[in-house]
Amino acid sequence: MADLKDKLELIGMSLSFFVPELVLIVGIILLIGIGLRKKQYPPLLTFLSLLLFSFSFLCYVFTWRIYVTPQKIFNGFLRSDDFSAFLKMLFDVAGILTVLMTWRKQKEQRYLPEYYALLFAIVLGAHLLVMSMNLIMVFISLELISISAYVLTGFSFSKKGAEGSMKYFLFGSVASAVMLYGFSMLYGLTGTLDFSSAEFIDHLLGKNSTLFFIAALMALAGFLYKIAAAPLHLWAPDVYEAAPMPIVAFFSVVPKLAGIGVLTKFILAINIFGQSAFDWQFIISLVSILSLTVGNFSALLQKNPKRLMAYSSIAQSGFLLAGVAAFLPQGVHFMLFYATVYMFVNFLVFVYLQYFESYGFSSLESFSGAGRTHVWPSILILIGFVSLTGLPPTAGFTAKFFVFSSLWEAYHLSGKNILLWLLIFGLLNTVVSLFYYLRIPYYTFIKEAESGTKTNFLAFENLLGFVLVLLVFVLFFYPGLLMGWINKINFVL
Amino acid sequence: MFPIAHFLYLGAFLFSAGLVIVIVKKNMIMVLLGIELMLNASNLNLVTFNQLYPDSIQGQMFALFVIIVAVSEAAVGLAIVIKVYHYYQTSVPDEINELKD
Repeated sequence: MADLKDKLELIGMSLSFFVPELVLIVGIILLIGIGLRKKQYPPLLTFLSLLLFSFSFLCYVFTWRIYVTPQKIFNGFLRSDDFSAFLKMLFDVAGILTVLMTWRKQKEQRYLPEYYALLFAIVLGAHLLVMSMNLIMVFISLELISISAYVLTGFSFSKKGAEGSMKYFLFGSVASAVMLYGFSMLYGLTGTLDFSSAEFIDHLLGKNSTLFFIAALMALAGFLYKIAAAPLHLWAPDVYEAAPMPIVAFFSVVPKLAGIGVLTKFILAINIFGQSAFDWQFIISLVSILSLTVGNFSALLQKNPKRLMAYSSIAQSGFLLAGVAAFLPQGVHFMLFYATVYMFVNFLVFVYLQYFESYGFSSLESFSGAGRTHVWPSILILIGFVSLTGLPPTAGFTAKFFVFSSLWEAYHLSGKNILLWLLIFGLLNTVVSLFYYLRIPYYTFIKEAESGTKTNFLAFENLLGFVLVLLVFVLFFYPGLLMGWINKINFVL
Repeated sequence: MFPIAHFLYLGAFLFSAGLVIVIVKKNMIMVLLGIELMLNASNLNLVTFNQLYPDSIQGQMFALFVIIVAVSEAAVGLAIVIKVYHYYQTSVPDEINELKD
């Protein structure tokens, strides 16, 4: 009986760190329950989702101090620490913003309860993924994200939606099968599934067999697929084109940051604190260079704004990976800063792409002269694109500057040429990205078109857009507000 | 008892066969079968490797979870096949190309 009591106490202790996830689980069950009813009230569903996401977010804000000390929960399957808590807050904010974006379309969106339930499932999966310390947990939460995402891609209920969801499924399930094979090999090499344990590290120490290299590479492939990094990015443009706009904005932030979060931990484990026989820093830098180059140069040729943003998100994962590739604590801090800014800016752009889409602007040429009829949306989307490029006076500049400075420092400390190349490619690609990011603003402001009626300034999108733009400026002028907080985050394996 | 290397060879063979099926076969149902083979290859590996470390059953537990996930993945996959068939009257991915640059 004492054994049982100990177990119950352990679960009780673990649950006290698990409140936000419980809220999300309750959300999934509630929404599916409401979905069974014949008559639904869309505003009620939206409000409920908003409430639950905000509650989960506020849990972290008000009880931040319990997440500061790393704590293993559920028998070491998960670990609650401030690194994961910060990322989890970002996921909740992304959830809130996605629900707000859906607000306008809630009447037209079919199967709204299931739509929100799947959103909750992805956010729950992302929460679990960044906390997981065990390969079982990594696999299950990654599949929770992936399977919900395959379904959610098809939620435009059109020919394109079905095709996008099929492509996502085929690529995704093969990638996760490959990752799983890598995991099984790592288990065979180490005898444990807990990748932060001393046993795992000890068994890999001094191992220079090709088998270890291939196994770890296969495992990495699964994560790199999830963040749409270059050799594994082929699904992104098709999926982004097929999915509804709020979902695209959501996909470009939540699964990506979750993948980066777990990759940061996993790469440290297989790198064995620099003792590994293989140069993992080289591989991450190479992937980062490839993503930057492929993403930016392919984006130059795009005509559809959604596909353009897909390639842009591939290039942005290159920058996020560059923060990881520095292999320094500052690198991880700057990566978190970059991730926060990227999330806000990306949502800013997508809010207005959705706005323009609802007025029938679906290709880049159709944006001609939109600056005259839709003055404020055009100005705000311009600020969004300027920030994505990384020009002052926006937070995008600060974020890119931080990432580059950590790369420069890492290059000085280690003297590895690949880091210098990564820095050079990053700078060159920032210039290239200017050409495609400013194409929509070019059409809206420079190109002439017949004048139409002026639209209402007090639109809901403008309110949301103003808040996001304000954040983008505040983070440029006072980056210390956020960096001061991030610098306190103690990243340990 | 067999030496465990035999099982690992079988796992590697299953994995490669699954990958070849995924790449070569045209129909999406066959591709799904290939994916199942790849997942089961990993299951076999996990259970086999557990023989090396008999003091815990982590590998077998992982295999159980993989089976469950594979089932839900197959269910979603088949649902997507039905949806695609509804719109395109085919389940051959090569003939479905609405989305392109």
